[in-house]
Amino acid sequence: MNYLKNHIGKLYSISVLMIVSSFSSTAQSTQPIYSVKDGKMLIELSKHLNDAALDNFISTFDLADLDLKNFMKTNSTDSLRKLGWKLERNNRDLIVISKPLRGFDRFDNPADKIILTEKGATNSELFPAVSSSIKYGFNSFRKKHPFLEKDSLVTFFLRSNTGAKGVMLVGSFNDWNPAALAMKKADSGWIASVKLSPGKYWYKFIADGNWMIDNDNVRVENDGRGNDNSVFYKHNVVFRLSGFENAKKVFISGSFNNWQPRQLPMIKTATSWQLPVYLADGTHTYRFVVDGRWMTDPGNSSRLPNEFNDFNSVIRIGTSYKFQLNGYTNAKQVVLTSSFNNWRENELYMTKTGTGWELPYTLGPGNYEYRYRVDGKWITDPENPALVTGRAKQSNAYLIIGVNHTFRLKGFSDAKSVFIAGDFNNWTPNTYALKKEGDEWKLGVHLAPGKHTYKFIVDGKWIRDPANKLWEQNEFNTGNSVIWFERGR
Amino acid sequence: MYSYLQLILSIVSILFNTATLTSPKNTGTLNAIVTYDKTHAKSTPIFLNKLHSNLILDPIVISDSASFMIPFSRAGNLIIIKAKVDTTEGSFILDTGAPYLILNMTYFRDYEATGESEDGQGGITGQAMATAPTKVSTLSFGPVKYYKLHADRINLGHIENSKGIKILGLLGLQLFKEFEMIIDYQKSVLFLHWIKKNEKSIPYHHPMLKDTSGYTTTPITIKEDKLLTYGFMGGKKLTFVIDTGAESNVMDSRLPNKIFENINITRRVILTGTGNKKLEALYGDMKNMKIGNRDMASLPVLVTNLEKLCFAANQCIDGMLGFDFLSLQKIGFNFVSRKMYIWK
Repeated sequence: MNYLKNHIGKLYSISVLMIVSSFSSTAQSTQPIYSVKDGKMLIELSKHLNDAALDNFISTFDLADLDLKNFMKTNSTDSLRKLGWKLERNNRDLIVISKPLRGFDRFDNPADKIILTEKGATNSELFPAVSSSIKYGFNSFRKKHPFLEKDSLVTFFLRSNTGAKGVMLVGSFNDWNPAALAMKKADSGWIASVKLSPGKYWYKFIADGNWMIDNDNVRVENDGRGNDNSVFYKHNVVFRLSGFENAKKVFISGSFNNWQPRQLPMIKTATSWQLPVYLADGTHTYRFVVDGRWMTDPGNSSRLPNEFNDFNSVIRIGTSYKFQLNGYTNAKQVVLTSSFNNWRENELYMTKTGTGWELPYTLGPGNYEYRYRVDGKWITDPENPALVTGRAKQSNAYLIIGVNHTFRLKGFSDAKSVFIAGDFNNWTPNTYALKKEGDEWKLGVHLAPGKHTYKFIVDGKWIRDPANKLWEQNEFNTGNSVIWFERGR
Repeated sequence: MYSYLQLILSIVSILFNTATLTSPKNTGTLNAIVTYDKTHAKSTPIFLNKLHSNLILDPIVISDSASFMIPFSRAGNLIIIKAKVDTTEGSFILDTGAPYLILNMTYFRDYEATGESEDGQGGITGQAMATAPTKVSTLSFGPVKYYKLHADRINLGHIENSKGIKILGLLGLQLFKEFEMIIDYQKSVLFLHWIKKNEKSIPYHHPMLKDTSGYTTTPITIKEDKLLTYGFMGGKKLTFVIDTGAESNVMDSRLPNKIFENINITRRVILTGTGNKKLEALYGDMKNMKIGNRDMASLPVLVTNLEKLCFAANQCIDGMLGFDFLSLQKIGFNFVSRKMYIWK
């Protein structure tokens, strides 16, 4: 019996020793380890880890919430326990923490499985023709001329490959459908015409079944999944600077490229410098940089003041909207600031009229917030009942530009108020008010291409659109109405 | 409910009849009946569960040859096929992880419900998934046409939001069970061959399979509408679901520690399911895995707890092979002879 006890004691101490030695061996390496053991996540951290290595580990595994640094200093496990982690070991050299990996109840539902196993950006995120994140772009080809453009028709050209039996053109404009667009054989290559509105497009050629980028196009982008695609911008502006034949280099720089001075080189022609560019709708300010010297565009009289007591040239694309403030005729200065000009306070000075102040400004489609500053004092637009409310300090008026869809709700003639909330206004229930006209409530909004979900709020009660039979279930089991706003509409 | 009872009664009566019929001398015609009933008798214990699956009828292929190509487009790493259900035409996801035809409720809400909503009795649906079975008159994609087909309807809104395109439904495994299918992700083409009844004895081989040195052959099985194959690591046999509807490969976190010695964890992610449920999971790179007789140099994997993916008979799935495996090279499946071809 004694023998057995001793033996067990020995075994026990050996196994403890083994655990200690295995931990200390990892401690010696000092590299933090993230692993899976016994169905749990396990983190092994050396206490001798330097700050940079710890920061790197925390950012790699997105562990900021764990507050590991504080724990290393104070040994307080509150932040760990709150997030479900358990302290397995904590000695002079090493910390080991663990957390069980739980399972999803609904992995066997195909819809959940698709969502849970997906990764990375989607096609529409990767290849939007018009997107608020794409402000500008221009083409750059070598060994061949830019694609021929006639109005909206762009003729894509694949140089050589004349021995191929067939070549297809695929891109974001035809949803990468490999069978959609056959190219025609020309003298020195293959051509295909595509109708494009201004914007950014991604494309590839398929020659006899082999996908290839356009080797003559400098603009190549990786889609983040290991695929390279060629990029084409359908331009809507040509910047031109006449003369300066002796200049060595001319660049254009503006609000669209964050005023980077040497990013957009202009191309020398016989009598001028020029550059075709795609610019998103809206108001853009810019200057030329001629051999290092900044200047406004001499061929453009449209200007706005800048912070250097000088001016920037202005180009406006889209429809103009007139901001008007009635009254305040005794004020010395009224400034418009808004989300569309990054709330700059020294750019958009309004002009005094007989009855108030005004300023025309060109805006691309979208939903904007703005306010006025009258002699240094902030006010919201008293004429605009559309207010973004619920903010702590300052409420802003909002503006919808580029109305392309009108939501209508018939009946409810006794209702006091009808609002619409959806993904397009972050589901805020009290910003987009519908107006009563005859026997229906109406509101025009701007919708980006794609799918939108929404509900009406009638006197505080959320309802689906009774006139729209498309709806999908939501987390409250009450359903949201669905509308598809197709691309290119 | 009445119709279910009727069905059971008729099956029972057929069984009794065949039992009595088999004892005398068999004639050719009677033999046919017997074999017919044997197959049904075998599946009787799970007949109610599998009722819908068995309603899938043979496809009709309208094409000069039984072999044809269907070009596909991609939404992320999912295969999108144009298909038509009755009068509604649009994009469907090829999802070998789904059992049969699944429709997006949003666009097929008006369809008549057939039977009660299932509550975990049927196939893959599971406890948490409320499905609404229905019937469609026709489903067609490429030259393939099915008539009077059972379908389930679920909400696919989250996939639409994530992929940015309208998704009418999922084309699941049973729709391809009489086909050989070769997926070429590089060229975005599906090569399909309909294996006719009389071809089943002579194994069909696509012309692309003529050069047998160009690919390896691995057995697959189909169990409870799941397409399965096996992997080996350090002497342990692992069961994988082959799933074109999974963009990542998945490994069960409950596997032995020995397996995880071959998985280098690289990232922690928070997954968001439908209904905004959040869950921690890990990404890593897996080494030393053998699928069939092929060594996989390195496979990216998502590590999560798959306890909910077990079969009824206490058999669990160890992982899923998705796009990250399927797109490595051309890959083919013969669902009749139950073989997988992986090109070299």
